[in-house]
Amino acid sequence: MSEPVKIVEKKVAPKNALMLYGLPDVGLVGLIATSHIISQLKMDEISYVDSELLPPIVVLHDGLPYAPLRIFANSNLIITFSEAAIPAKAVPPIMRKLVEWGQAKNVKLMVSMGGMPVQDRQDLTEVKVYGAASNPSLLKTLSEKGIEIMRGGFMVGPYALLMRYCADRNIPAIALLAQSFYNYPDPEAAAATLKEFSKITGINIDVSHLRESGEEIRLRARDVMKRTEQELNRMKKTQEYDLPLYV
Amino acid sequence: MAEIRRRRRSIFDFISDYMEELGERALAERPSWDIRSCCIEPLCSVFVAADEVVVTADLPNTKPDTIKVEPIAPDTLEIRAEMKRKIRFEEFGITHRKGEFQYFLCQTRIPVPVDTKRLRTQYKRGILEVHLPRKKGVRIRVQ
Repeated sequence: MSEPVKIVEKKVAPKNALMLYGLPDVGLVGLIATSHIISQLKMDEISYVDSELLPPIVVLHDGLPYAPLRIFANSNLIITFSEAAIPAKAVPPIMRKLVEWGQAKNVKLMVSMGGMPVQDRQDLTEVKVYGAASNPSLLKTLSEKGIEIMRGGFMVGPYALLMRYCADRNIPAIALLAQSFYNYPDPEAAAATLKEFSKITGINIDVSHLRESGEEIRLRARDVMKRTEQELNRMKKTQEYDLPLYV
Repeated sequence: MAEIRRRRRSIFDFISDYMEELGERALAERPSWDIRSCCIEPLCSVFVAADEVVVTADLPNTKPDTIKVEPIAPDTLEIRAEMKRKIRFEEFGITHRKGEFQYFLCQTRIPVPVDTKRLRTQYKRGILEVHLPRKKGVRIRVQ
């Protein structure tokens, strides 16, 4: 039987890099943020994810076909980015494979950027970013950088699995989650996570384009958001609103 | 344990999943635009609260004074708005389709009875919010 998920390498990946995840989730926060980094830093595609668990889709860019779930890199940064929604059933094997692949490349820190849905999002002028980490020393680092820690509750979806797989394997990982819309693309939340990302890593990303072209981005991201919402419903993403039972 | 499992997935759960999937298919398997009417369907959501139903729609790039919210049936709301400028397929990198869009248009089903005469709207940072008070049911006096 062939492997359920394969990472096809086109170019050599850097060693000891930071690995960022921009996968479709609430508000498409991570997707918008990583897409912005890829174009700002003019990063190259180095690999793509091949799996029969993914829908039969190719994305055409200038007439040429590309897999929707691709990996980009420069000398110190690796970004996993998906242009299409990932089916809920494919999320666990894909996340496991990506974590294994990152570990084989000696990734020094895995960073997921995403949204945390809040009901009164349109009333917020300042978006707050919360942090989670795979070990106590990283939690301390996040606190020292002024990021409020998510102390309790549920995480659901690709980033939840990323945190768990990384904690199991002792790989340093953090999640930066900005207050966001649930099912509307949120470039402002993406800009807020990038600001915190810069603070932590020292990699400076200019977010003015995200703020200035927010409306255009929201218009473009509509269809991906719609498909992503269907997968979020299948993952029971709304469980993030649930109150956990600690006895 | 087996009993717990049986209770977790009753026949109603399966029916509910099936209906959800049918609804999703009906929504997903058509384009979110219509060339003939020059319309794009905005992202919408419906939230049923204890005393009201809140319908929201993402309307970026919209002229606020053109937004129209109209109850077209007791359980259906139509939202229409004009964009600040026309959008063409070419702008999305698509050259094999021709057409341009200038309006947002959607029809949203309201799942519980509401008083459409008392609807209230607000448009803030590209998001339209429509508040519809729920119709009161029969009051039962507890002895």
